[in-house]
Amino acid sequence: MTLLAQTLIFGLLTGGVYALMSSGFTLTFGVMRVINLAHGALLIVAAFFTWWLWDRTGIDPLLLGLGLTVVMYGIGWVLYKTVIARVQRIDPELTLVASFGVAVAASGVLSLIWGTEARAATPSYFNTSISLGEIVIPRAQLYACVGAVLLLAALYALLRGTFVGRSIRACATSRNGAALVGIDVERTMAQMFAIGAATTAFGGAALAVLYQFVPDSHYVWIGRVLCIVVLGGFGSFAGAAAGAVILGIGEALTAAYWDTRWTTAVPYLLIIAILILRPQGLFGARHRLEGATT
Amino acid sequence: MNRAAKLSLAALGVTLLALVPVVSGNIYLQNLLIMTFLLAVLASGWNIIGGYAGYISLGHSAFIGVGAYTAGILANRWGVSPLVVAPLGGVAAALIALSLSLVTGRTRGAAFVIVTFAMLELLGLVATNWPGLTGGADGLVLPLPSWSVDIQNWPFYYALLLLVVLSVLMSIAIKRSKLGLGLVAIRDDEDKAAGIGVTTPVYKAIAFMASAVLVGVAGSVYGYYVSYLDTSALFDITLSVEVVLAALIGGRGTVWGPVLGAAILQPLIEVTNSSFGGASAGAVRLLLFGGLLVAVALLLPRGLLPELERLARRILRHREPSLTGARLADRPVPEFLRRSAPPVAADGTAPPSLLSVAGVSKRFGGVKALDGASFSVRAGSITALIGPNGSGKTTLFNVMDGTYRASAGEVRLAGDDITEWSRTRRAFAGMGRTYQLPRLFDSLSVLENVAAVTDEFRLRTLLASAVSGAEAERATELLEFVGLGDYVDARASELSYGQRKLVELAQVLMLDPAVILLDEPAAGINPTLIRRLAGLIRSLNETGRTFVIVEHDMHFVLSLCDPVVVLSRGTVIADDGPQAVSSDPAVLEAYLGDDFVAEDIDAPVGAAR
Amino acid sequence: MVAAAALALTAAACGADGGGGESGAASKEPLVIGMSLPLTGPVADRAKPGLEGYRYWVDEINRKGGMLGRQVKLKVLDDGFDQRTAISDYTKLIGQDKVDLILGTFSSDLNLAVAPIAERYKYVYVEPSGGADEIFERNPKYLFFAQPATTQKLPKQFVEMLKRAPADQRPKTVAFVTVDDPNTTQLEEILKRDLGALGIRTVLSSTYAQDATNFDAIVNRVKRANPDLVVSGAVAQDGINVVRSMQKLRFSPKMLYQVNAPTDPAYADGIGEGATEGILTYLGWSAEADYPGNREFVAGYRKQFGAEPSEDAANSYTAGQVLAKAVGEVGKLDQPAIAKWLHANTVETIVGPLRWDAAGRSQGEMLLAQFQDGKLRVIGPPSAATTEKVIYDKPSW
Repeated sequence: MTLLAQTLIFGLLTGGVYALMSSGFTLTFGVMRVINLAHGALLIVAAFFTWWLWDRTGIDPLLLGLGLTVVMYGIGWVLYKTVIARVQRIDPELTLVASFGVAVAASGVLSLIWGTEARAATPSYFNTSISLGEIVIPRAQLYACVGAVLLLAALYALLRGTFVGRSIRACATSRNGAALVGIDVERTMAQMFAIGAATTAFGGAALAVLYQFVPDSHYVWIGRVLCIVVLGGFGSFAGAAAGAVILGIGEALTAAYWDTRWTTAVPYLLIIAILILRPQGLFGARHRLEGATT
Repeated sequence: MNRAAKLSLAALGVTLLALVPVVSGNIYLQNLLIMTFLLAVLASGWNIIGGYAGYISLGHSAFIGVGAYTAGILANRWGVSPLVVAPLGGVAAALIALSLSLVTGRTRGAAFVIVTFAMLELLGLVATNWPGLTGGADGLVLPLPSWSVDIQNWPFYYALLLLVVLSVLMSIAIKRSKLGLGLVAIRDDEDKAAGIGVTTPVYKAIAFMASAVLVGVAGSVYGYYVSYLDTSALFDITLSVEVVLAALIGGRGTVWGPVLGAAILQPLIEVTNSSFGGASAGAVRLLLFGGLLVAVALLLPRGLLPELERLARRILRHREPSLTGARLADRPVPEFLRRSAPPVAADGTAPPSLLSVAGVSKRFGGVKALDGASFSVRAGSITALIGPNGSGKTTLFNVMDGTYRASAGEVRLAGDDITEWSRTRRAFAGMGRTYQLPRLFDSLSVLENVAAVTDEFRLRTLLASAVSGAEAERATELLEFVGLGDYVDARASELSYGQRKLVELAQVLMLDPAVILLDEPAAGINPTLIRRLAGLIRSLNETGRTFVIVEHDMHFVLSLCDPVVVLSRGTVIADDGPQAVSSDPAVLEAYLGDDFVAEDIDAPVGAAR
Repeated sequence: MVAAAALALTAAACGADGGGGESGAASKEPLVIGMSLPLTGPVADRAKPGLEGYRYWVDEINRKGGMLGRQVKLKVLDDGFDQRTAISDYTKLIGQDKVDLILGTFSSDLNLAVAPIAERYKYVYVEPSGGADEIFERNPKYLFFAQPATTQKLPKQFVEMLKRAPADQRPKTVAFVTVDDPNTTQLEEILKRDLGALGIRTVLSSTYAQDATNFDAIVNRVKRANPDLVVSGAVAQDGINVVRSMQKLRFSPKMLYQVNAPTDPAYADGIGEGATEGILTYLGWSAEADYPGNREFVAGYRKQFGAEPSEDAANSYTAGQVLAKAVGEVGKLDQPAIAKWLHANTVETIVGPLRWDAAGRSQGEMLLAQFQDGKLRVIGPPSAATTEKVIYDKPSW
């Protein structure tokens, strides 16, 4: 019983972080129909920034993650203006290819700057934990998960309560309609993409504390993000959160009760299973775009 | 360039390549060409599903792995050379492709990309975690080549060169076949394709198998060349990306593009490997690779070959004869349409109902677009379906032709309950449909647009050439009949709006349909063309073909149709002869009162798209 | 067809200038030694010191007058830890650049792919890494492993130490946490057999994928099994992650034997200074070992690169030593003769005297080392030990 409880706690804590990591991707898809395969690379870029600043200054990496939100927003904006928006105009299908190219090039740049050694930010609490009877809660995981959930709540509030959020949801429902009521669609799209990129800041910081990473790690992370989004239904915000928790728990259960070698297969097995049984995802509505609404 | 010239140039190229190992003896050059051939086979295969059908696969290198492991395992068990069992590697790859296409039957676009990526990773993991079969992470050691060192890598070289030739030949054959046209149709407009008899799941499954089979064989040869199989190297995402890149650079959807792309990319990879020595070489390579992907997407979205072709055409000022002035000639109904026409009841009794809907409803969320609509279409009639905007006419068409499933009610065709039938099955059963805004396959020529249509599923027809022979003749005859005989070789995208409508009609006729649904045929075309269209409909009707026409042009309707069915708010409010309907007070109130006049006068004249 | 024609033309052009021409031993042209290393990618952090070991060896040999009277030049390519590239690189070195000699690359994966090429074109291939069994299974005649022992004999000294341990200090139970890699899975098999023979019961055996990132769930299983001894079969950073997870979950086994990771220069940083105490590992080479030339190597390397040499640097230096000795003894660049000489003789190196069986397996022994006061000390075999103290009960972290 303790093993199960412990495993579920691991899964939940991981799932919370996964949820933030995939929220930006699913929003970008929901609103813009853009599959941004560079999302994993953005996470790794944020993780490298976090690690580097932490190494230089000793400031808590998770706090750095919050600060980096602005930086990642800017990177997202530039990426949208220079590549994504242009390719979208030429041939939306090629966005996949172009964003994948961005991911590959980004890992090249990271290798040139920081080399290919594995990095990890190790603040004082990285290997300590809180004990609740026989159950152990790793501090780093706990802090990262709490931060991620708070940020998700903030993101939700932003989309629900602000003008920007309403514009974004309007564009998700109908671009033409949004343009008719005077929303600057192009600008809103750029904001949307940038917000999606901004979510990778804390996500990347959490990654830097919880895992080791190299420039090439973006493949692993885009794989996870894709699985979560397929699970939850493309473009569904709540679906992504649920998908993230399912994946987190699924991985933990596989490691605890089955064969740890198969842990990495869990996301891909889930993807294929979901696409056979329920192609619209667990929470997605068929043939309909849910957009930024819950 | 004509075909003979192309062929002899290709033969020259192959001969030169075949001479290389004999003349040079440089094993590095052999290695470079072997890797180029491998990439060319991969890219050519990828092109069939990714280029022709538009289904981008990000996991194509998995078939290399499947082929290599199949041949490697069998060769070790049976004690034979992996080259002997290489074809089995191809079979295994095709089977994996088949099962994947069964699994992913319903996924399109992005979801398909993700599934292929997941397949690659998953197959890699299965190979790694099944040590009993594959040797797992320890890898599988194959025997070293048994032949003399003097022969160098010739067997690998020629085997892969042969596979490149076969890949190109297969690409050409598919491109010219009905299968190939169907695949392009799927890429351009999958829903429409299903309506003209393209059995999309079958086409996609065949294409996916075709795209995997030679790759699997190449994988077997390559595995033996490496002589040591390792899951991380054989199920490698980088190779999959190289494949996509090669096809994009050369021009996807073209026959030679992927080969050209491979011939550019592989040497480029080699150059970057050996010229950026030292610790940052890999990083520079990644940067170059990623940058190239972005650059190709931004600057060369259609690929080298199509761009070059366009450039060449511009330089040579090679223009097709101007089409705008071509006359629309009157032609009799083609023989095969007259011959196969369903018999009309000749004894004077009321003809039976051919198509009927009963109590059909269709809901979209909370909106009820159709609310218990019922009417039936007599065989041999020209039935009009009219109603104010938003009354559910097009939705009803979509329910009748299978685009939508009805929320309630049933649809019958010639006595059969077809409510649950797929669109393609309805097309085979004799139902054709045109769209309000004509939907043509813009990457195809006018002739190909019509030749892509299939009126029944036969594997032989599917694989036979569609751009020459009987099918092409039939298509040409139909195009002549609708008056577009001069346009057979034009691109569909070059046509005017009215001409597109005529091509769509020819597509429908290719199905040899019993009942033809026309969605606003007269909207947006000039009066001459409207008269011509009315003439075509009449002469086709004389052969016994039944029409259902949604139309706002009341003169067109009243002069052509009998009976007229009126739809309002998703239900039928009148179903009678034209005179009776036009004086029905309920109809006048619901519809004619305001809309009739406005629509009739404002109907645009001319052929703007 | 344009593509095919263009390719054929390039091909013909390349073919024409392909021949570099072999010059005799008397020539003053520098002697070129080719290699391709995984300088980028997942094992880059091990290949870089490896390259420095080669560089140091070349500089040293050139100072002493070169090889066969010719200066030695390295031609180094990067394969990004990609087998296709590694194969293509070595084919290029042999077939296009016509280098005089080649030296081996890093990791079992790459050496497995490259060895057949060397074998086929009859180039002596001394490899600084790659001790997995498959490599020698095909009975290569030109391959020589430059570490003291292959995986088969890697944990021998650890087992010997347990045999020597006082009965009450000897662990009763063992758990294996192993990455799915040819090297480590073999290690696990061997140890299961040998420890079983000592009456040590295996309570858990778990293998994780090479790209595993989260070790908490795995380590939690280990914790629940509560073994006295944990054997961590790691390849690189994964070992650090395993230890970090143990720290997080507050599980500190009495004894921890971990391979490969502890010799990583980032190890102490990764798991925290002070947490290293008592951890056991094997060493293919020790900076303190008293073999001829070792002191000079350590001092010279430190001077040239401003850092302590790692085991990988020592391994590639050893590979160089082996090749230079054989070429010197044979007196000409005759590959079959060089291979023949190596099969028949013993070479003194900084990892001790090396000799090989018919398939190129080295016949020496690995050292057993333990972190004591923050430094790795050799504790076995007793003849090579730098300290007599052995910590059987690892302090808790």
